[in-house]
Amino acid sequence: MTSVREWIYSGRHAVGERWHNAPRWMRWAVIAAVIVFFYALPNREFYQWLGPIPTTGSNFGQVLFTISIYVLLAVGLNIVVGFAGLLDLGYFGFFAVGAYTVAVLTSPSSDLKTLWPWLLALPVALVLTMISGVMLGTPTLRLRGDYLAIVTLGFAEMIRVAATSSEFLKGQRGFNQIPHPPGSYSDGKPIFGVLDPRPYYWLVLTLIILVVIGVRNLNRSRVGRAWISIREDEDAAQLMGVPTFKFKLWAFASGAFIGGLAGALFAGKQNFVSSQNLELLNSIIILAAVILGGSGNIVGAIVGGGLVAYMIERFRGIEFFGVELYEYRFMFFGLVLVVMMIFRPQGLIPNRRRAAEFKDRRKEVIVGG
Amino acid sequence: MTTLLEIEDVSLLYGRIKALHGISLTVNEGEIVALIGANGAGKSTTMRAISGIRPIASGRIVFNGEDISKLRADLRVRRGLCQAPEGRGIFPGMTVMENLDMGAYTRRDRAEVAKDLAKVLELFPRLAERRKQVGGTLSGGEQQMLAVGRALMSRPKLLLLDEPSMGLAPMLIQQIFSIITEINQQGTTILLVEQNAQQALARAHRAYVLETGRIVKEGSGADLLHDPAVKEAYLGVA
Repeated sequence: MTSVREWIYSGRHAVGERWHNAPRWMRWAVIAAVIVFFYALPNREFYQWLGPIPTTGSNFGQVLFTISIYVLLAVGLNIVVGFAGLLDLGYFGFFAVGAYTVAVLTSPSSDLKTLWPWLLALPVALVLTMISGVMLGTPTLRLRGDYLAIVTLGFAEMIRVAATSSEFLKGQRGFNQIPHPPGSYSDGKPIFGVLDPRPYYWLVLTLIILVVIGVRNLNRSRVGRAWISIREDEDAAQLMGVPTFKFKLWAFASGAFIGGLAGALFAGKQNFVSSQNLELLNSIIILAAVILGGSGNIVGAIVGGGLVAYMIERFRGIEFFGVELYEYRFMFFGLVLVVMMIFRPQGLIPNRRRAAEFKDRRKEVIVGG
Repeated sequence: MTTLLEIEDVSLLYGRIKALHGISLTVNEGEIVALIGANGAGKSTTMRAISGIRPIASGRIVFNGEDISKLRADLRVRRGLCQAPEGRGIFPGMTVMENLDMGAYTRRDRAEVAKDLAKVLELFPRLAERRKQVGGTLSGGEQQMLAVGRALMSRPKLLLLDEPSMGLAPMLIQQIFSIITEINQQGTTILLVEQNAQQALARAHRAYVLETGRIVKEGSGADLLHDPAVKEAYLGVA
């Protein structure tokens, strides 16, 4: 048993080592290949060769779009939870703010009747989500740990309840005919239509790449160092002259921005937004994705977000002894989480520092009795 | 001799419990001042009040001629006041170099930072050997050295040391106190909190004795070292 584990561990270790020691061009080539693969993935000509990977019960392009939204959300939440170490249980609330801002400004069912195009509503949605992040963060980021988690949980619920019961936000009837993003092919057909989900997927994929580049640069800057120091020891960070409150707020606002972007994209694709889109479960799934993938690691967040969303969809349309597996998807999901937390609490692709922090904390627990 | 830090009648509350009952003390430029006392006397609390991690309930803290009683902790660091926190106050997931780098977080003068880094590594050769090692995997003594070295990286006017000898082997205690003296001789003023009264008093120019949140005695290090009451209570000799 131990020898198998060691073997797996050393194998993994070797892969990581080889990756870090590989020449620059080779790493870029691998990254480029991965990107090309994911751009090609929604085409039937390509995915029909991939065996059991494509989903059977639903349109694979549509599933990929859903997955890409989850990946974007995981990358955003990773800033808050992974980098700055702030436990946010209501991250999906920012998604809601983004989606609803677009809906209110563009949909004919909105009381405002502004009927803006999607692209015009997008920046407003992003600014509003950032403001909502700052508004939520200013009073709550003075709290720590458990308290922050509870307040953020309350925030997401407040938004859901407001969306359900407010006349202005249309409850379960929701907003329809939200316009799609602009753009058309040379023959005049719109790129972003109702039938083909692939362009939306490609759009989100492109945005994920841009966001990841931005987040990576941010994380390697002074801002990133401040976040990590706050996560590791907030008092010590302050003693080193880091304005901790300011940087926590920054993490919150950046995370909110990305959440809002995901919400706006979702609204533009789906055409329709209602309070039924705002289940608490979503916040939890995204948080689970970040932790499963490896909190504090961008690649980990991407893998986590992708895997979790994919796993949930993959069960659709599979019958096992007459039982529809999709009905039990969250049971499997919970099982995977429990197994992961026992065998690999730092996540699939952990952050080097994060792993060390885990060890350090474990020691502390033992010392403290 | 100019006064660098002056604390006037400072009280501090933890909820309803009063941890400091109006303490006053001064630190002059160039001194090593020790604050000694038993567990729970309020030594670390005094440090937290000075560095700004805990707000004070009443009184005044004046640093370098400026009232900093209400100043945010990170701004106090920019004024030249830096604390090496007790025990595990290092960043466990960062390497030794990254930890030291965080010490210079408030500074922009790269060339001078590089000079200070060289100085710190010279002062603590062990840290130089382990520069790529992750902080959490260092031994207790090495972590302590890292905490002191990191604080020095901010080039403080006043260095606050909270129990630098805690949990160290006797040999290492000697070593860390020699280094403290050396840092002081190179021009940094030091306020030191210690349970190891023997060493602290031997090294300090002046010292204060803290009991249940009050200052009960003060004097030169040598005087307190020979004070019968201090001897009995803190030095373990009758």
